[in-house]
Amino acid sequence: MGLDDDDFVFHGTPIEREDEIASRKKKAVAGASGTLKTLPAWKQEVTDEEGRRRFHGAFTGGYSAGYYNTVGSKEGWAPQSFTSSRKNRAGARQQSISDFLDEDEKAELEGQSLSASSQFDTFGFTAAEQSRKQAEKEQHERPSAIPGPVHEELIAPAPESIGVKLLLKMGWRRGHSIKDVRASSDARREARKAFLAFSADENTKESSDSLVLETEAETSLGPQFSEDIKFSETTPVYVLNPKQDLHGLGYDPFKHAPEFRENKRSRLTASKEVGYRKPLSMKESLFGPKSGKMAPGFGIGALEELDVEDEDVYAGYDFDQTYVIEDEQPARPSNDNRLRLTSKEHNVLPGFGAASNSDYSVERFDPPKIPKDFVARHKFSGPRETETKPTASTPPDVPPPEDKNLKLLIDGFATFVSRCGKLYEDLSREKNESNQLFDFLRGGSGHDYYARRLWEEQQKRSGQSNLQLDVKVPPSVQKMTAETRGSLLGEKPLQKSLKETETSSSSGGSFQFPTNLSDTFTKSASSQEAADAIKPFKEDLAKQERFEQFLKEKYKGGLRSSDSNRFNIVSESARAQERLDFEAAAEAIEKGKAYKEVRRATERPIDFLAGGLQFTSGGTEQIKDTGVVDMKTSKTYPKREEFQWRPAPLLCKRFDLPDPFMGKPAAAPRARNKMDSLLFLPDTVKAASGSGARQVSDLQEPEKEPEVEVEVENVERPVDLYKAIFSDDSEDDEEQQPMNGKIQDGQEKKNEAAATTLNRLIAGDFLESLGKELGFEVPSDAPYPEGTKPMEADNKPKGKSDASTERRPGLKEKPEEKTSSLKLVSEKEKSTQKREKSPRNWSGGNDLSSSESSGDERRRKRSKKDRHRNYDSESDSSSDYHKRDKHGSRSRRKRRESSREKRSSHKKHSKHHKTKDSSSSRYSGDEERKESRREKRRRRD
Amino acid sequence: MSATTELPTKEANLLKGHEGAVLAARFNGDGNYALTCGKDRTIRLWNPHRGILIKTYKSHGREVRDVHVTSDNAKFCSCGGDRQVYYWDVSTGRVIRKFRGHDGEVNAVKFNDSSAVVVSAGFDRSLRVWDCRSHSVEPVQIIDTFLDTVMSVVLTKTEIIGGSVDGTVRTFDIRMGREMSDNLGQPVNCISISNDGNCVLAGCLDSTLRLLDRTTGELLQVYKGHISKSFKTDCCLTNSDAHVIGGSEDGMVYFWDLVDAKVVSKFRAHDLVVTSVSYHPKEDCMLTSSVDGTVRVWKK
Repeated sequence: MGLDDDDFVFHGTPIEREDEIASRKKKAVAGASGTLKTLPAWKQEVTDEEGRRRFHGAFTGGYSAGYYNTVGSKEGWAPQSFTSSRKNRAGARQQSISDFLDEDEKAELEGQSLSASSQFDTFGFTAAEQSRKQAEKEQHERPSAIPGPVHEELIAPAPESIGVKLLLKMGWRRGHSIKDVRASSDARREARKAFLAFSADENTKESSDSLVLETEAETSLGPQFSEDIKFSETTPVYVLNPKQDLHGLGYDPFKHAPEFRENKRSRLTASKEVGYRKPLSMKESLFGPKSGKMAPGFGIGALEELDVEDEDVYAGYDFDQTYVIEDEQPARPSNDNRLRLTSKEHNVLPGFGAASNSDYSVERFDPPKIPKDFVARHKFSGPRETETKPTASTPPDVPPPEDKNLKLLIDGFATFVSRCGKLYEDLSREKNESNQLFDFLRGGSGHDYYARRLWEEQQKRSGQSNLQLDVKVPPSVQKMTAETRGSLLGEKPLQKSLKETETSSSSGGSFQFPTNLSDTFTKSASSQEAADAIKPFKEDLAKQERFEQFLKEKYKGGLRSSDSNRFNIVSESARAQERLDFEAAAEAIEKGKAYKEVRRATERPIDFLAGGLQFTSGGTEQIKDTGVVDMKTSKTYPKREEFQWRPAPLLCKRFDLPDPFMGKPAAAPRARNKMDSLLFLPDTVKAASGSGARQVSDLQEPEKEPEVEVEVENVERPVDLYKAIFSDDSEDDEEQQPMNGKIQDGQEKKNEAAATTLNRLIAGDFLESLGKELGFEVPSDAPYPEGTKPMEADNKPKGKSDASTERRPGLKEKPEEKTSSLKLVSEKEKSTQKREKSPRNWSGGNDLSSSESSGDERRRKRSKKDRHRNYDSESDSSSDYHKRDKHGSRSRRKRRESSREKRSSHKKHSKHHKTKDSSSSRYSGDEERKESRREKRRRRD
Repeated sequence: MSATTELPTKEANLLKGHEGAVLAARFNGDGNYALTCGKDRTIRLWNPHRGILIKTYKSHGREVRDVHVTSDNAKFCSCGGDRQVYYWDVSTGRVIRKFRGHDGEVNAVKFNDSSAVVVSAGFDRSLRVWDCRSHSVEPVQIIDTFLDTVMSVVLTKTEIIGGSVDGTVRTFDIRMGREMSDNLGQPVNCISISNDGNCVLAGCLDSTLRLLDRTTGELLQVYKGHISKSFKTDCCLTNSDAHVIGGSEDGMVYFWDLVDAKVVSKFRAHDLVVTSVSYHPKEDCMLTSSVDGTVRVWKK
């Protein structure tokens, strides 16, 4: 069919058929005649004159519009003609509500709108408006004889009441409250206002009756006024909740959050209390104590509990202070405040009268009387004061003795005494009873000079501390020598000069030179310091010199023999005694040094001995010392340790690296607990079967029945016994552990003890019989003597590298054993290499084997951890952490310790006895731990 | 001074959007984009050079602490307070996988070079290696030799390096099968590796950055001046390894000369703690993030 049709080509417009037009016309005629009117509205069709269906009402589907299709028809409305909005584009008219209201609605609205009714509105504009309107209306109703608006001009309606007029006269202006009238009108009122500067114009807003009355009484207003005032004043009083915010009427910001209402109220009342503001902690009321400091805005789920880690460590502000943000609050001075002020003004509270007489009088007490001899300065009965006491009487200035040595001695001694106290003088006086040199102490020659020097020195010392030196010692100023100046300036005398003076007194100084020279080059700063600082054998210069010599030797191990000969101490015993003295003194000096160092850094050193050329200030030395300390600490850290670590094969694969442990037996799961590692093997044997990663094979170890385990499975054995030995009780234990921790501990201990004894008994027999069967020589005593390591250790890693194979050795076959033994040699080599590299595993010596070492390592780790923790907690307590470290460092760790303990109890359990054992030696060095380990083994054996 | 002029000390852009502290800001592989994450549990992808926020990734249940992008920019991983490591698709914004297993918060994550594994450092004293290639959600390996929280992790082609609060920087050499533990004696906050791969920079909680020689474990240099006592703050090196950059808890950023450890430049980058400092892989451009909720882009 399609084919035929396609061949035709049509041109032009086809002629409409006659009958179609005819029917349409007929229809139109019928419609016009009203035949169609009988149809329901929705069936009617609107047609034009031609009878065609009129198209309109596109929005409703076309062909119909308006009420009964009246649009565009004679009785319907005409559709709006198009007007270009181009010209009046900007004329967007402000719409008002009346545009959308019907007439009746408008009337209703008018009725609802609040306005004072005309009869009560005395001075409102509405009244004026009303009267004007009324006049207009009347005028329209009864047209007067005089046409036009003339009479309107003549007869104006009374616009204002007399009251308003009066008020206006008095200065009131429209739109102001009545209260202001008085304020502005009354001069007295003005004055009073100034007087009440604080409370400003708050009177106008709210007040109590009493105040109103009070003010009323003062102002001389007419009764009508006062009535008005009263009216306007008192109305707010009846409002129980004065509206104090700027919210819309009836709007309640706390509608959905009533918790905040109380909060706000308390805040308001708190702010009324002057200067003191204690916000109610909102978090308490809302979340209780559970919610710590949370980051604002980041709550956690309802089902989650707030944890420690949810605290916001970064929080700079306090969540407590946040509250529902309300719109601006008008600053509102408080009521009570004002009341108080006004009452203060009159000195009485409203309702109270001031008493004419009162029996209350302030009792006054006289201050305590100060005794006449009271000096308003406290004196400490310390050693320093006792020192300065003898200075009360100034000894006369005495020329120094002729003997230069004596002068020097006296000078030195005086300095020393002044520094160390009077006690020292007495002591040395006693000591040097017979010494000629010290005659000056006992009133001999040079005593006066000594007294003078001592006084000078003491003055100097006290002056140094009080910074009053120049005032106190005028006489000594003239006599200032190089030494005193040097010492005043804090210069340190060269030691050489001391030496010379000393040697000149004790021995001929010629051969002293070399030692002095060496001193200058070799003497360490610290020893020099020490020697300079304290001269414990000052009274005996020779001895002092010897002491210095001793120090020198002590610090740098110089030649002693030559020196010791030099001093003419007769008896050996005396020398020995002296040496002991020196030792003690040196020690004391060492100890005191640190303190001295600090002291010298703070107070500039005044120096010790007269005569000096070498000028060094203490400060630089101080720096040097701290530098040394720094070096020391930096030397201890960082410490590098190297361990073996086995990456997982998959890890190597993912990193595209060859597995360094490829081909080597798979790493055993780390020994979970002691049962795992113990089994029935002696330490050394099972060691090898431990972690593959830390295998050890030691060539030197004696060979011993290498195939024991392989055969174990084949032998019949009592099941329960076997179980007692091999079964992994601890698996259950581990699960129970969290519940009954301590009891379990004890049990496990018992278990362990039992197991070990059983181990020993059975394993011995067992091995023996096995060995016999296999034709091996088995030593009769099961426990291996310490230090000897059976060869099994070497075989184990290949044969039964992990505990699981050990427990189920049936899988093991002989051939495998062989191949593994082939590997043995290279393995051994490697392990020995490793051994060199990583000393940690083998630090224990030969008897340490790998599983032992892994366990050992674990223990070490454990103890280390504990140590670390301990250290940490210490440092925690010492250093103040205001803020907590979020990312889980120290302080938090402490708090979470308990939870972690719980978490790790699983793991911990397995190690428990070990940690216990090592707990005693937790803080001690490796040595001790080794010791304890050995001891433990002994116990086990 | 010429040294300071080549340092990125001028603020180029301010990236605002995070609500609350921003805990980490990281450039992607080529430095054109940046990922930031923070307390508001979101991860945001930015164009830091134009200052535009591109995408926000939401799925974490708690704060997000670290984020790292693969070298091909197709995936990234994140971790945080919800103890999980998330493996994301960048373009779709979907989580491909979640790795659960850490017993505590996860402090840091890194992809390896081939993006085949993710290594995460956790509060549970372990480093965990997760496989991205297979569908396994079990860790490939757990490294638990640390004695305390592991704060930071860095990967090289053959090594995994972790810094821990126990004061150690531990290098796990996969090729050699060895663990090198360098005890610094101070809690290690952040580690970062020099671009030549020879040194490790360790930020310690005694307000000190320490530069270690990786082969010998020797302490090469110590950088002081900033404050780093209780927050996790980052440190890094410039591309030329000429300067060391460290964020401070007082909002400052410090630049030290690598060799003589002098403070070459310091400026106030933020009002509050600078949590993260990250350097553009090629240009002299730097990202800093802070507790104040902003991320700033610095250029020279």
